[in-house]
Amino acid sequence: MNTLDSKIPEGQLSEKWTKYKASQKLVNPANKRKLDVIVVGTGLAGSSAAASLGALGFNVKIFCISDSPRRAHSIAAQGGINAAKNYQNDGDSVDRLFYDTIKGGDYRAREANVYRLAEVSNSIIDQCVAQGVPFARDYSGMLDNRSFGGAQVSRTFYAKGQTGQQLLLGAYSALSKEIKAGTVEMYERREMMDLVVVDGRARGIITRNLQNGEIERWGAHAVVIATGGYGNVYFLSTNAMNCNGSAAVQCYHKGAFFANPCFVQIHPTCIPVKGDYQSKLTLMSESLRNDGRIWVPKKIEDAVAIREGKLKPTEITEEDRDYYLERRYPAFGNLVPRDIASRAAKERCDAGYGVAPSGYGVYLDFKTAIERLGRDKVEARYGNLFQMYEKIVDVDPYENPMMIYPAVHYTMGGLWVDYELQTTIPGLFATGEANFSDHGANRLGASALMQGLADGYFVLPYTMQNYLSDQIYESKVSTETEEFVVAEKSVKEKLEKIMAIKGEKTVDTLQRELGHIMWEYVGMGRNAQNLQKAIPMLEDLKKEFWSNVRVTGDLTSLNPELEKAVRLADHIELSQIIAKDALQREESCGGHYREEFVTEEGEAKRNDQDFMFVGVWEYKGKDQEPVMHKEDLKYEFINVQQRNYK
Amino acid sequence: MKLIQFASITKKIALAAFGLFLLLFLPVHLGINLCLLRDDGGEWYRNASHFMGTNYIVKVFEIVLLASVLLHICLAIYLTIENWLARPVRYKVRTKTKTPFMSRYMIWTGGIVACFLVLHFINFYFVKLDLVEGKYSASIEQVDKLFQQKAMKLQQGELNEKEQAALMAQYQAISQISPEKMDKSQKNMVNLTKEEVIQYCGEDFKHVEPDFYTMSKDLFANKTYSLIYLVVFVVLGFHLYHAINSLAQTLGLSHRKYSPIIDWVSIFYAVLVPLGFAIIPLWFMFMN
Amino acid sequence: MDFTLKIWRQENRKAKGRFETYKISNISPDCSFLEMLDILNESLVDKLSHPICFDHDCREGICGMCGLYINGHPHGPDSAVTTCQLHMRKFSDGETITIEPWRAKPFPIIRDLIVDRTALDKIIQEGGYVSATTGGVPDGNAILISKHKADEAMDSASCIGCGACVAACKNASAMLFVSAKVSQLALLPQGKPEAAIRVQNMVAKMDDLGFGNCTNTYACEAECPKQIKRSNIARMNREFICAKVASEESTKR
Repeated sequence: MNTLDSKIPEGQLSEKWTKYKASQKLVNPANKRKLDVIVVGTGLAGSSAAASLGALGFNVKIFCISDSPRRAHSIAAQGGINAAKNYQNDGDSVDRLFYDTIKGGDYRAREANVYRLAEVSNSIIDQCVAQGVPFARDYSGMLDNRSFGGAQVSRTFYAKGQTGQQLLLGAYSALSKEIKAGTVEMYERREMMDLVVVDGRARGIITRNLQNGEIERWGAHAVVIATGGYGNVYFLSTNAMNCNGSAAVQCYHKGAFFANPCFVQIHPTCIPVKGDYQSKLTLMSESLRNDGRIWVPKKIEDAVAIREGKLKPTEITEEDRDYYLERRYPAFGNLVPRDIASRAAKERCDAGYGVAPSGYGVYLDFKTAIERLGRDKVEARYGNLFQMYEKIVDVDPYENPMMIYPAVHYTMGGLWVDYELQTTIPGLFATGEANFSDHGANRLGASALMQGLADGYFVLPYTMQNYLSDQIYESKVSTETEEFVVAEKSVKEKLEKIMAIKGEKTVDTLQRELGHIMWEYVGMGRNAQNLQKAIPMLEDLKKEFWSNVRVTGDLTSLNPELEKAVRLADHIELSQIIAKDALQREESCGGHYREEFVTEEGEAKRNDQDFMFVGVWEYKGKDQEPVMHKEDLKYEFINVQQRNYK
Repeated sequence: MKLIQFASITKKIALAAFGLFLLLFLPVHLGINLCLLRDDGGEWYRNASHFMGTNYIVKVFEIVLLASVLLHICLAIYLTIENWLARPVRYKVRTKTKTPFMSRYMIWTGGIVACFLVLHFINFYFVKLDLVEGKYSASIEQVDKLFQQKAMKLQQGELNEKEQAALMAQYQAISQISPEKMDKSQKNMVNLTKEEVIQYCGEDFKHVEPDFYTMSKDLFANKTYSLIYLVVFVVLGFHLYHAINSLAQTLGLSHRKYSPIIDWVSIFYAVLVPLGFAIIPLWFMFMN
Repeated sequence: MDFTLKIWRQENRKAKGRFETYKISNISPDCSFLEMLDILNESLVDKLSHPICFDHDCREGICGMCGLYINGHPHGPDSAVTTCQLHMRKFSDGETITIEPWRAKPFPIIRDLIVDRTALDKIIQEGGYVSATTGGVPDGNAILISKHKADEAMDSASCIGCGACVAACKNASAMLFVSAKVSQLALLPQGKPEAAIRVQNMVAKMDDLGFGNCTNTYACEAECPKQIKRSNIARMNREFICAKVASEESTKR
C-alpha cells in the first residue's frame, strides 16, 4: 500500500469539482435506507456531515464525547467564516480566496481541494442563513463583513464574537431535525476506542460508554472521523479539555496514513500563561488585530521594569514603543498571518523585550483605536472579548493594553485523505480538522469554520456516495464477526493494562511533561538538535507512562482519569511522529519553523525544491519505526512565490 | 402528575387572566368601600350595595368573579405543587440569587389574602347568601309610608281578617322598638335581625337586604379586625406589586418602549389600591 | 488562599449521595474555580481516592459544559460568567464553599457533580430548528433582515445551553432556555413558516420532561452567564398565545 492516489479529477481547476459531481456514482433512495454510516464527532464537520447524510436518507449513527453536540470545540471559534461572496465589491472572487488560502498555507496544500473549498464557500453562507444563523447585518439588512489576517479584502462573515457558536448551533439544529426524523441516531457520552477493519474496509467502531464504562460494538458500511485536531499534545493549548487526537491515532494504527503531523498552528493572540496550575489557554479573537496594535518597549530596561512591576505600560511614551509588526511588515502590519505574528512575538520575547512577569507576553493596545473610534464603537465591536479578558486577567483592557502571547491553536496535519476525503482505508473518511487537506502549512483565520462546513455539507455527501454505491450489495454489518470480537478484546485489554499499572505519577503530571517536551523542543521554533533530543525523551515518556501511571477508580463507572490516560497514551505516540516529521522537513514553512532555515532578514525560508510534498506517515506496528511516504504537490495553476507580507 | 393536560403556558395564562379579572374588580370594590367615608348615614354605601346586590348584569359578573377567585387559587396551588415536584432534591445552600422583591412569595402572600377572603366572605358575602346571620336595617320613612298605605286600606275596609291581625302585630312591634335601635339621624332602624325586620316592617320586607353599612362600621369598630385588615392589605400590596408586571410578562406584553410604562402602572396600582382600602380602617380608628 | 470545600459526592445515578468536606490551601487568586478543583483532584489521586467528577470542556465560557451550584449561585457568585471563568479572587480567604450539582427532576445526577442535561437537547429536537435541508437554499442576501432584528436574534441565540436557568429557578423551569431558541427563530424571517408549530411542540416537550412552570421570578435572567433576557420568555408566551389562538396547527399529545 505504497501508492498515494489522491484521485484528483482531470481537467481545468475550476471544472474539476463540477466534473466530479457529474460523473460520480450515486445511490438510489431505496438503497440509501439500507446503508449505515457512522460519524464520530459532533463538531461543525461531524454534525453537518451527519445531518446532510441523514437528510439524504442514509442510516446515520453519530457519536458524541460530551453530553450534547453543542459542546464541540467548534463552538469556541470567535472571529468568523470566509466566503468569496464579494458582497463588498472589493475585488473578491473564488480565485482570490483560493489563491489567498494556498498562499496563506505557504504552498503546502493540494490545489484541487483548496479550489473546491473556495468554490463551495458561498453555498455555506447561504445554507447557514437559511438555517437561521444570525449573521451580523448592516443597516440595509444585508450581510456584513469584516477583514481578517492574510487577506486584503473583507470576506469574513461573523455573528458578534461568537461565529463558531452560531455555525455549530446551526449544524446542531440541522442534526436535531434529523434525529427527530429518525434518520440519525445520537449516542452521547461515548468515546471511540478503536476502528474495526474487515477485509481491508472500515466496517465499524468500538466505543466506551463514558457513563458506565460499557464497551460497545457498532457496525456500518462506512465510518467518518470528525474528531478534530490534536493540539492538546502540547498540554496547554486553546483547545478544549476533551479535544484529543485519539480517534485519529486509532485509525493510524489500523492502517490510515497520517499526513503532515508537524504542521501545528500557533495562534498569536492568547492570554499568557499565569502559573503551573493553569489548565488551558484562552484565545482572544484574531479580529482584535483589526484595531489593536501590537508592541513591546523599545528599551530593554523598560521591559525589565515592567516585568518587575515597577513601570506601567501606559507610562511608556509613543517614541519608546516598538510596534514591531508595523515596523517589519508595513503592507499588512498587525494583520499578517498567524504564523508570522506568532514568530515575531517569540522573537521579541526571546530577545528580552517580553512584558509578562514570565517574560513571555507582548502588548495588544487599543489606545489608538479608542482615540480614533471612541470607546463606544470599540465596545460594540469587541465588548464581549474585552469583558472576557477582564474576567480572566482582572485588568481593564479599555484603560491598559492587553497582554498576549502565542499558543497552540490548530493542527493543519491530520489523517491523509484523497480528493474524496477518504483515507487510505477504504470506507474510512476524515473531515474537518481531523484531516489534513486544505490548509497546507498554515491556516488563515476564519478558514477552519469554512473547511469544516464545506466538508460536511457539500463535499462528503457527494463523495461518500461514490464509495457507498458499491456497498449496496453488502448486507447489514454484523458486529459478531471475528474482527469485532478481537477489537473489543484488545480495547478491554488495553484498559485493564492501564488500570493495572498503579504507578506513582498522575495522568496530569505526565501530560504536563509531554506538553513541556513538545513546547520546548517541538514548539514554535524548531531545530534538528532539539528535535533529536525530543525523540528519545518521548520514548522515555512512553515507557514511563506504561510503567508508572496512576489511574484510580474502576473500569465500570464514569472515570475521567481513565479517559485522560487513554488519550495520553495516544498523544505520546502522536507526538513521536510530530517530532519525526518536524525533523525530516528541513525547511521553514507556515507553522513549521526551523531555525536553521531562515533568510538573511530572519524570515522563514521555504525549500520548494526538496520539500514540496506532503509527509505521509504509515504505522508499521508496535516498536517499529513508522515509514514516511511522499505525496508530491504539483502546482499547475498557481505561480509559487515566496510569501511576502511586507 | 399531569392531571390537567394543558400546556404549562396555557395554565399560566389562565392564572394571569383570572388574576386580571380580579385586578379589574378591586378598584370597583374600593370605590364602594370609599363611600363608607361619606357622612351621609350610609346612603351612598347602601345604594351601591343595593345596586351590586340586585342588578342582573352585576349578578352575572358575580358568578364570573367567584369562579375567577376559585380558579385563580386552585391553579396557583396546582402549579405550585408541580413546581415543587420539578425539584425533588432541594439545594443545601439556599439560593442567593437576587430576584425582584416578593416575586418568590406569591403563593404565600396569595395564601394570606385567600385566608382573609374566607373571613371576608363569612362577614359579608355569606350574609348576602343567607348562610350566615347578619345585621339588617330598615328606613323609618319607608316603613312609615308602607304602614300608612296599609292603614288607609284598613280604613277603606279592604283588608281581610288575617291581614288585619298582621297589621296589628306590626303596629305593636313598631311601637316597641327600643330607642338604641334607631340610628342618630333617625332615618333608619339599624342592627336588626332578619326576623325583627319582617316583624317590624311587615311581609313586604321579606326580601330585605342586609345592612352592609352597619356591619362594616361595626367591624371597623373592632380594633383587632382593623389591624388584621391593615396587615392583609399590606400583604395584598406585595402580591399586587408583582402582579401586573408578571401578568404582562405572561401575556407576552413586553416591549422595549412600553414595558417601563407597565412597570410604573404596576407600582402605582400596587401602592394606590391597597392604600385606598387601608384608609378606611385608619379613618375609623383615628377620625371617628 | 485557603478554602474549606463541601462537595456533593454520589457514585452513580441510583446511589445515595452525601456531602464531603475537603481542605485546600495555597491557591492562587488567579486560579480559576475549575483549576482549583483540578488541584484538589490531583491530591485525591495522590491519595489513591477517586477524583471529584465534574463536567467541563472548553474552559473559556462558551461550550456550556461546566455548571456547578456554588454557595447558592449557579456558576458561583460572579455575574455573567460560567464556572470555568470564575476565579478564586472572587472568594475570601478561608471561606467555606459548598458545591452542589444542578438540581432538577429532568437532570438526573450521573456522578458527583455531573448531571444529565440531554433533556435540553430533546426539547431542541422538537423544533428548535429551521427545517432547511442541505442545498437548494436562496442567496444569503435574498432575505433582508433589519439590523435590529438580527442583533436581537443574535442575543437570544447566544444561549450556551448550560442549564443554569433551570438550576437557578425555584421551580426548575426551562423557560429561559426554550424561549431563547423560540425567540431567535421567531425574530428571523427564516423561522416564520414553522413558528406556530415550533412553539407548541417545544413547550409540550418541556412540560413532558418534568420541568417546572415559570413564575416570573427572573432568577434565570439574573444567573444566566450569557445574560439572556427575560423578554425572550415574554416573546415565547406571545408566540404561544398567537399559535394557540390563530394557528390551525397544534401539537398531538
